[in-house]
Amino acid sequence: MKYLALKQHTTKWTLTLTLLTMAGTASAHTETGVAGGLISGFLHPLFGLDHLIAMVAVGLWGAQLERPAIWLLPITFPAVMAVGGLLGVAGVALPGIEIGIALSALALGTMVATNARPPLWIAAVLVGFFAVFHGHAHGAELPTAANPLAYGVGFITCTGLLHLSGILLGTLTRWPAGRQAIRGLGGLIAALGAYFSAAAFGLIA
Amino acid sequence: MQRKLPLILVLALIPQCSWAHLVSTRFGEFYAGMLHPVLALNHLLPWLALALLAGLQPVESARRNLLLFPLAVATGTVLGCLFPESSLISQVNLLAFFSLGLLVTLALRLHQSLFTAVALVFGVIEGYGNGTLDVFGTGFLLYVAGVTVAAYIVMTITSAAANWISGHQQWGSIAVRALGSWIMAAGILYSGFLILPALQS
Repeated sequence: MKYLALKQHTTKWTLTLTLLTMAGTASAHTETGVAGGLISGFLHPLFGLDHLIAMVAVGLWGAQLERPAIWLLPITFPAVMAVGGLLGVAGVALPGIEIGIALSALALGTMVATNARPPLWIAAVLVGFFAVFHGHAHGAELPTAANPLAYGVGFITCTGLLHLSGILLGTLTRWPAGRQAIRGLGGLIAALGAYFSAAAFGLIA
Repeated sequence: MQRKLPLILVLALIPQCSWAHLVSTRFGEFYAGMLHPVLALNHLLPWLALALLAGLQPVESARRNLLLFPLAVATGTVLGCLFPESSLISQVNLLAFFSLGLLVTLALRLHQSLFTAVALVFGVIEGYGNGTLDVFGTGFLLYVAGVTVAAYIVMTITSAAANWISGHQQWGSIAVRALGSWIMAAGILYSGFLILPALQS
């Protein structure tokens, strides 16, 4: 008993000392190094709920549609998003960016909620169309990032991981109750998309 | 192991800053060469793309690449250290960034000789991009050796992982192709960021 207590005490001290020896760098000014790059790029889709739900919906819909959509949609999205990002980098004005992003959540959420099964090319075109708006929103901020490449890699990685989250959640469709739960989640995404759309059109504050 | 797991997790959650150029740490030219391509995303991502592509090729092609790519990188690094940097090489490098990502996304199986040619050309270009005029004498050799070792390590680990995962897991090849699409997307954006302002001015 005494031996065990001594061992626990030693472990805690080891942990404390380890943490103390790993002091990080403190910067007086934020946005230095890759803080204005990789991290801010990664957090951009995460902190924008409209981006987040739309990207999860892509994964959910892919999982509902099964092969080959389960891999085609998440691969289509970043590729077309990069093209939208190029428009943003070039400073090409795209009308209704916020509306497009909000409608993407509404449309993709509706597809999941209704378990819509259009031909594969229609699903790919729909996902690709909305990806342009998401990409433009990210790409417009890219030139001002401290490290533009790291910023781009950050938001592309986060986008891919959000798709993966949707696909993993979508594995619930193997069970009848899971299928209903996923459709319910799609409904929630569509409802949030409707709210964002109303806000983008100026119907609500 | 279970007792050590919390400690390992805590350590993994505490990343530290890292720099591509070792001006402050002075680890020596070998480590400077070894870390330079690994810490710079514009070098690392195309390397990863080639390694993923190698993992999707027949094993003979991937094995041959483990030897040829580091040698090509070494040749390119020597050239890059001896001659001033060429902007044309940088632009070709950007093209490789995008096109290698595209090849992985499409999961194309190239003819062995074609894949070898792609790896050799890309290796020389990438090595050239890692060249520096700041190393002399023994430091020059150490720097080239460092870049070459990094090329071998990145290529071996990543292509082996890609080969195993795509061959042993049902979702493996999809995961590798998805990673390729991410690299391709990053390549499109980065190329646009560098090229579009020049075209507009």
